[in-house]
Amino acid sequence: MTTAIKWRSVGQEAKLILIGIPVALWTLIPIYHLLLFAISKKDTAFSGNLWPSHPTLANFGTVFRQEHYFLNNFWLQFWNSVFIAAMTGALVLVIATFAAFAISRLKARGGRLVMNLALFTYFIPAAFLAVPMYRTMGLYGLLNSQWALILAMVAIASPYAIWVLKQASDKLPQELDEAAIMDGASPLQLFRLVYLPLMMPSLVAIGTYAILLAWNEYLYAFLLLSKDTSITLPVALGNFLAADDSPWELLMTTGLIYALPPAAIYYAFRKYMVSGLTAGAVKS
Amino acid sequence: MASVEIRDVRKAYGATPVIHGVNIDIEDGEFVILVGPSGCGKSTLLRMIAGLENITAGQILIGDRVVNDMPPKERDIAMVFQNYALYPHMTVADNMSFSLKLRKAPQSEIDSRVKKAAGILGLEKLLDRYPRQLSGGQRQRVAMGRAIVRDPQVFLFDEPLSNLDAKLRVQMRTEIKELHQRLKTTTVYVTHDQIEAMTMADKIVVMHDGIVEQMGAPLDLYDRPNNLFVAGFIGSPAMNFIKGTITGNGVKTDGGLILPLGSAPAGSEGRRVVYGMRPEHIHLSNDSLKAEVVVVEPTGSETQVVVKVGGQELVCVFRERITAKPGEMIGIAPDLALIHLFDEATGKRL
Repeated sequence: MTTAIKWRSVGQEAKLILIGIPVALWTLIPIYHLLLFAISKKDTAFSGNLWPSHPTLANFGTVFRQEHYFLNNFWLQFWNSVFIAAMTGALVLVIATFAAFAISRLKARGGRLVMNLALFTYFIPAAFLAVPMYRTMGLYGLLNSQWALILAMVAIASPYAIWVLKQASDKLPQELDEAAIMDGASPLQLFRLVYLPLMMPSLVAIGTYAILLAWNEYLYAFLLLSKDTSITLPVALGNFLAADDSPWELLMTTGLIYALPPAAIYYAFRKYMVSGLTAGAVKS
Repeated sequence: MASVEIRDVRKAYGATPVIHGVNIDIEDGEFVILVGPSGCGKSTLLRMIAGLENITAGQILIGDRVVNDMPPKERDIAMVFQNYALYPHMTVADNMSFSLKLRKAPQSEIDSRVKKAAGILGLEKLLDRYPRQLSGGQRQRVAMGRAIVRDPQVFLFDEPLSNLDAKLRVQMRTEIKELHQRLKTTTVYVTHDQIEAMTMADKIVVMHDGIVEQMGAPLDLYDRPNNLFVAGFIGSPAMNFIKGTITGNGVKTDGGLILPLGSAPAGSEGRRVVYGMRPEHIHLSNDSLKAEVVVVEPTGSETQVVVKVGGQELVCVFRERITAKPGEMIGIAPDLALIHLFDEATGKRL
């Protein structure tokens, strides 16, 4: 009996490993190549070795000191990415939290319609909207302004954020609001003192989602921004490929650096990510 | 403290009426329990007193103020919810002081009131804990503490004991009653459990389908239920009902059995009635109805026996111990002074 259970759990484990190993390889091989290029000298980058004979961190120095034509504005572009991602995250959080609170807790009229429209926006892929968005931003004179990209990102991220936060706040017991109302809380006090603290895990998850969406955006950034001093780092990385003789080792080094903040954010908030995604799954 | 007056209050959701004109007077300091099966409108009525539901028609007065259009926080009432509704991110002390902080009460006053309430409820050692670290009974006590610190005119309780296990429920019942005797704050309490209602209330209001079936002191309701519904609802185990026709000095059941009556109401010969006897008002007797034992359920202090008489099952509760086995015959007799007769058509007491 116990051995049967033991063997069954071994079988389960084996199946998970069989699925897990290919997935891990699939994910890690590109990163491995990224790393391999980043620590190789230019002339050995394409040698095909599994590990460079003389690994070096020189490429990182080159990037950080902006010692290449393509990297003249590295720090500025890095800052642009940070600024746009942070602003997007903040704006999405403000919009989605207020919307979710109004729809879910204050039962604002038309809330259902807003929710359905929010879902509807995802019937049209964001890529299809890129050119209309370019035209719209042009009409408002926002082209080449980073606010154009921030607003576009907010527009893309908000519906999903509202949807998720609404679902999460539906799971907070209604009696909490009623208890606060009986205690004399105004809607704003209810929002600030009861709703926000309890929504924190979901807010962190959604904020991270919006930040990473903006951080990783290429298409819209490429369309809406064009000056070397206003573009984000992904667009700058794309420009590397404009040359016949692209400095692959620097491209990969910069890419690796660019990939680190999201990894750090995920790591720092991993607890919230999991609880945010499963918020309300168990009775609180 | 204040009286509460409910004057011809109605409630409709859209075109669906759920409360059809309810009048209740609650005196200052009284403990009133609204009781009824689920869906009878008792919680809705309580929420209208609280200000969490709009009043469709009629008036609710707290003290001498009409509160119909007053937001909850101006009504000076506190409410205890069924699932406690404690703020999970606040400590016990913060939960209890939340309303005072919103009112911007001075810190010294907050501290002294929280301390006093914690003392009353035995929560002194738990003030720094979070709700998740408390047991069900402790959480319920914190919820009451949150109401007490406000020193309101009226306490409202919405099925506060339903989430507790049976033993704790009995204990908290006593605590709430004790608390009321001590604070003497007007209390409106909603429950579907008639035992809670019987044991705690000064006055019970029995509701059914959005109307008040009867209100009065617990024992009045038990002794003189106005109609079949109240008779069946109050008392546990529930009253036995047998349909029949009045003949001479008894009721002839549809099964042909004659049930004894002390005296039939004048001029009621031939009238169709429902004969009601409480299980505890049936005693063992050798010269009366012959009954077949179906189930014997001893509880120690008493014995509940289900018997079959004239094709009808009856529940009896005997103080003495019964040795009869299922299938055996015993003799039973109702307590003639404690028989209830109801009109079959209207359900009204005769």
